[in-house]
Amino acid sequence: MNNVIEAHGLTKRYKGTVAVDNIDLHIPSGRIVGLIGPNGAGKTTALKAILGLANYEGELSVLGKNPAKDRAALMEDVCFIADVAVLPRWIKVWQLIELTENIHPRFSREKCLQYLKSTKITLDHRVKQLSKGMVVQLHLAIVMAIDVKLLVLDEPTLGLDILFRKQFYTNLLNDYFDEERTIIITTHQVEEIEHILSDLIFIQDGRIALDCSMEEVQESYVELIVAPDKAAAARDLQPLYERELFGRFIFLYKNSNREQLKTLGELHTPSVADLFVATMNGGAA
Amino acid sequence: MNRLIALVKREFWENKGAFRTTPLVIGGIYIVLILMFLVTFNHFDNEFQSLKELTRFLSQTEVGLRSEVIYGITVAVFPGLFTLALAFVVFFYLLGSLYDDRKDRSILFWKSLPASDTLTLGSKLLAAMVVAPLIFWVIYVLTYVVITLIFSVVVLSLGENPWTLFLSLGSPFKAWSMVLLSYLAQSVWALPLYGWLMLVSSFAPRIPLLFAVLPPVVVAVLQIWIEFLQTFTLKKNLFGVIGEWFANSPLILSADDHGDNKLEVSLGIPLTDTFGHEATVANIFDRLFSTHMLIGLAVAAVFLGAALWLRRRATES
Repeated sequence: MNNVIEAHGLTKRYKGTVAVDNIDLHIPSGRIVGLIGPNGAGKTTALKAILGLANYEGELSVLGKNPAKDRAALMEDVCFIADVAVLPRWIKVWQLIELTENIHPRFSREKCLQYLKSTKITLDHRVKQLSKGMVVQLHLAIVMAIDVKLLVLDEPTLGLDILFRKQFYTNLLNDYFDEERTIIITTHQVEEIEHILSDLIFIQDGRIALDCSMEEVQESYVELIVAPDKAAAARDLQPLYERELFGRFIFLYKNSNREQLKTLGELHTPSVADLFVATMNGGAA
Repeated sequence: MNRLIALVKREFWENKGAFRTTPLVIGGIYIVLILMFLVTFNHFDNEFQSLKELTRFLSQTEVGLRSEVIYGITVAVFPGLFTLALAFVVFFYLLGSLYDDRKDRSILFWKSLPASDTLTLGSKLLAAMVVAPLIFWVIYVLTYVVITLIFSVVVLSLGENPWTLFLSLGSPFKAWSMVLLSYLAQSVWALPLYGWLMLVSSFAPRIPLLFAVLPPVVVAVLQIWIEFLQTFTLKKNLFGVIGEWFANSPLILSADDHGDNKLEVSLGIPLTDTFGHEATVANIFDRLFSTHMLIGLAVAAVFLGAALWLRRRATES
């Protein structure tokens, strides 16, 4: 029972449509998992089930608890930011801090204030007076000051400028993350998180399209860049996907003979974004 | 327990305007009106000559009657505006209690805290049943004290003794306690309504007021229509039941001259003789320990249970 999240046959139906279709998940602790999928693939639905915000069919255990039944108890060890900043608009920053402090046993006021110091947010601000980006900053400051075992971030940096996004991921990795913790992130800006991820899960049409560690990605997948005259030969080696860029052809392979590929052109580790596109267009897994 | 207190505090913070500013404004209006009255008197009538006459006249009335009138004013007339405003505040507070955070999606934040839906619902009910009435009551008492002080100073300056004139009469402490008791008793008595409002608040997709009012109106109108078609008579319908329920409320709503120099302070509106009308502790408890109340609590439990069930599922889609 080392896994933070353990799901078997997790399914969620909404009036006829299946949003999450019979998925299995095993997420151990100490990982940073990128949950990536196109809009409407079922990411948020799966996360809602994990966070006890929606009912589901199948088996699901988060930190050994049943999220549908024990949401309140689970939230002592789990924190999340939903896809849009949803802090109540009427609340003042100091009230938010006091409230979280009184309700959350693992909230550190000092840490929160320290994070806020690097922003323009003051304690007397009301949430509705803050810009969209500042609201996200505030929410992140609160969440990062809570010492939980599982942190779920659903599009956490939406609406933030690039400086803050970089800063946020750096903080997340350096100050927040450790072996005891697990972080699940969904985002469309895959490039920004790929260097901090340890695991990758692709979701498509409610099913898991890919579930592997970043090491496995590096070991199993390779990208070959060839000139047009070698394209036919490369195509014969059963690539998963091909695309054309500046007159050259790029092929994606899984578990293929690298020595053989090397004779045709340059080899690269594919980026998560490229792997994602390939997976969505034909199934790399 | 800490969590419950924190959640109740949150309700107060969010509804400061309704819970605190409203009674403060009412108290302020009372005080300003009385000051204006005194200034006007002084303007038309130098040295408060006629006020002096009035005071002298009052001081010669029979002590027993004067005491009764003062008690009636303290317990029924003076708190009237506070009571009315409190009813409005609690009504609209509950109507929005499980609706507002769904509308602005901050429910996702509240659900990210380790506080159960039961505790959240409880904190909102507690705010409506205890916190709001208590704040209104405290400000009612404070306003009363301020006004009494103003009158005392005026009476003193007119050369009369405020203590024998009114300060020692009317048992203000008893009146205040009765008002508080009737507020809290009303919180219990009105639980079926509170439960209904929270239920509506937990499911209404928009305009909760409409969803709160429309179903009972439709039911009552249908009842009236069907009864009329069948028997050409008008029997009891939902309107009648609800009306009677609130007529039997333990709120102190009026003080009437009973003819024989006696003032009767009454609970609710004396329409039926189900319960005693006189505003006594016994009559208040009579209501709270009646079969009516038992049925009311059962109805409230159904509504609140449904509200909780819906609250748990509020983040489904």
